[in-house]
Amino acid sequence: MAERNKRHIEVLQGVDRLRVEHKKVVKGCEVQIQHWEKVKGDYEALEDQLKTLPEEVSYDIMVPFGPLAFMPGKLVHTNEITVLLGDNWFAKCSAKQAQKLLEHRKKHVRSALDDLHKTKKNFEARVGFTEDLEKLSGAKGDYVDIREEVGSIEEFVCKGKQRVALKPHTKPKMEAVVKMEEGGGEGDGGSRRGVLSEEELWARLDELEAKEKLEEEHDRHFGSADTNGNDDTTSSSEEEKEGDGGGHHRVNGHDERSEGKKTVPHNSGQVNGTTRDREEEEDKGEEEEGNGLPTIYFTHTVEPKKVRINTGKNTMLKFSELKEQKQQAKRKKKIGTSNGHSHHGLHNITTPTDIYRLFVDVKNGEPIPRKSILKSRSRENSGCSDTSESSAADFEERRTFGRTLSHDENTCSDTSDGITEEDSPTGNPLHPTRRFEAFSCTVVEKEPIPLSIPHLTIVPPALPTIPERKLEEVAPDAPREAPKRVSKFKAARLQQK
Amino acid sequence: MAEAIQKKLQSELEKYQQMQKDVSKSMSARQKLEAQVTENNIVKEELDLLDTQNTVYKLIGPVLVKQDLEEAKATVAKRLEYINGEIQRYETLLKDMEKKSDQHREVLSSLQQEYQRAQGLAVGKV
Repeated sequence: MAERNKRHIEVLQGVDRLRVEHKKVVKGCEVQIQHWEKVKGDYEALEDQLKTLPEEVSYDIMVPFGPLAFMPGKLVHTNEITVLLGDNWFAKCSAKQAQKLLEHRKKHVRSALDDLHKTKKNFEARVGFTEDLEKLSGAKGDYVDIREEVGSIEEFVCKGKQRVALKPHTKPKMEAVVKMEEGGGEGDGGSRRGVLSEEELWARLDELEAKEKLEEEHDRHFGSADTNGNDDTTSSSEEEKEGDGGGHHRVNGHDERSEGKKTVPHNSGQVNGTTRDREEEEDKGEEEEGNGLPTIYFTHTVEPKKVRINTGKNTMLKFSELKEQKQQAKRKKKIGTSNGHSHHGLHNITTPTDIYRLFVDVKNGEPIPRKSILKSRSRENSGCSDTSESSAADFEERRTFGRTLSHDENTCSDTSDGITEEDSPTGNPLHPTRRFEAFSCTVVEKEPIPLSIPHLTIVPPALPTIPERKLEEVAPDAPREAPKRVSKFKAARLQQK
Repeated sequence: MAEAIQKKLQSELEKYQQMQKDVSKSMSARQKLEAQVTENNIVKEELDLLDTQNTVYKLIGPVLVKQDLEEAKATVAKRLEYINGEIQRYETLLKDMEKKSDQHREVLSSLQQEYQRAQGLAVGKV
């Protein structure tokens, strides 16, 4: 403050002095102007004199004789005028010629006067400006200084420019994540995590893979208790939150189990922080309370990387989907149901990607979108045999749907992992204990013939009786269709032959 | 130590003042020349206005000497050229002088700082 005052005072003094100088110049100008005005007056008088002088041949005058005396005399040669041209040069000329010269001089005087006037005006204006400046700096009058303070970087963060602006801030944010974990906050800016290096991400991914394996095994052996217990230890508030909350818990579970069931919230926090990149499948706008400032962080949807992991059953899964299943499984365990992927997916749809994933079958590790339900179903209903691939895809979907309907009684968690869209192109027979299986026959994928296709309504959560009916329906259909198909092919072969 | 610096400072200061005087002298001379230029210009113009019938006199001391118009014109022109040349010379001289004075000023300021530091030390010591 003192410095500011000092500067203020200095500025004021400087401005004051400037003003004083300006005023001096103005005064000098005025003096000069006066001088020149006088000269001009003199010349005008002379002009008059020159006009009248040649009128008479001689004039009677009182000639000054020294400083105190005059003498009567005559003025002759009234037309002969010796003009001082300047620089000790004289010229004898008539009155009229003298007038010409005079005019010329007057011109010169006039120009000098004009210049002086201009400078005077200039400096008067400058004086005015300095006075204004004084007012400005002195904070008197109506002048207001408009200033815009550069706000904290937090503001910039919230405006969505996180990726660029936060590179230098990734580390502090990581700490914030840790704190957040303890406080139960979730959904820290996933986009921020995106700033981490790729290598780090991959390393993280590998870690999590291992943990996933462990988790799976533990799940199989221990059941739900542990996971629930772990969840409680870490953060109860997370249970309230949907989406990746389960995954979050899951990771915590991994962490703790792997480290001998020590609650290490910090590490888990870290883990969660880094996995967020890969796990994030949802857009979130969640409020964080851990940070000091009430800020809103949101994450962008990140397509999960297609990493193949070998789970316990030699099935290949997408990493993220596995996690999703886990969280869903965990949730379902509370309700007492086992997991069917699509069923959880239905519950868990928050983004278009989820919807997409529902309708994508993973065959041989590749996601293949299913054909339109309407198309195949109509054909299916009409009993047409020429359904080809569409029916196959449809079949898969119906299989899963059927599974969703039939899962209610099943508590076995084994199949939860094994059951994804992609399972068994070879058509593993489902668990025999399941009563409400969508189909009971083997499925040969390449064949476009759906051997048993339950007639599903579009609304999957149906009564348990429906699958029975469907089975009944299907059963008679299958043999009918099969021969048809066969015959057709045979016919084709015959034709070829 | 401080005294030596003080002496140095004084000598430098004197030099600088001398320089400043020279600068101001050249400045005034230049201004005079400027005035002469304007005057001679006016004379030239007025001589152009006159015709050969008028006799032109030049004042040399207390004597007015008759001059030819043409001669007068030529003389005035020459004088004008001479004055312009002088002005150029004085300008270059002025520039050099200003540079030198700046250098001196810098030296002076540095010496002053040293002196102050030495003074401070001396005060501290005492």
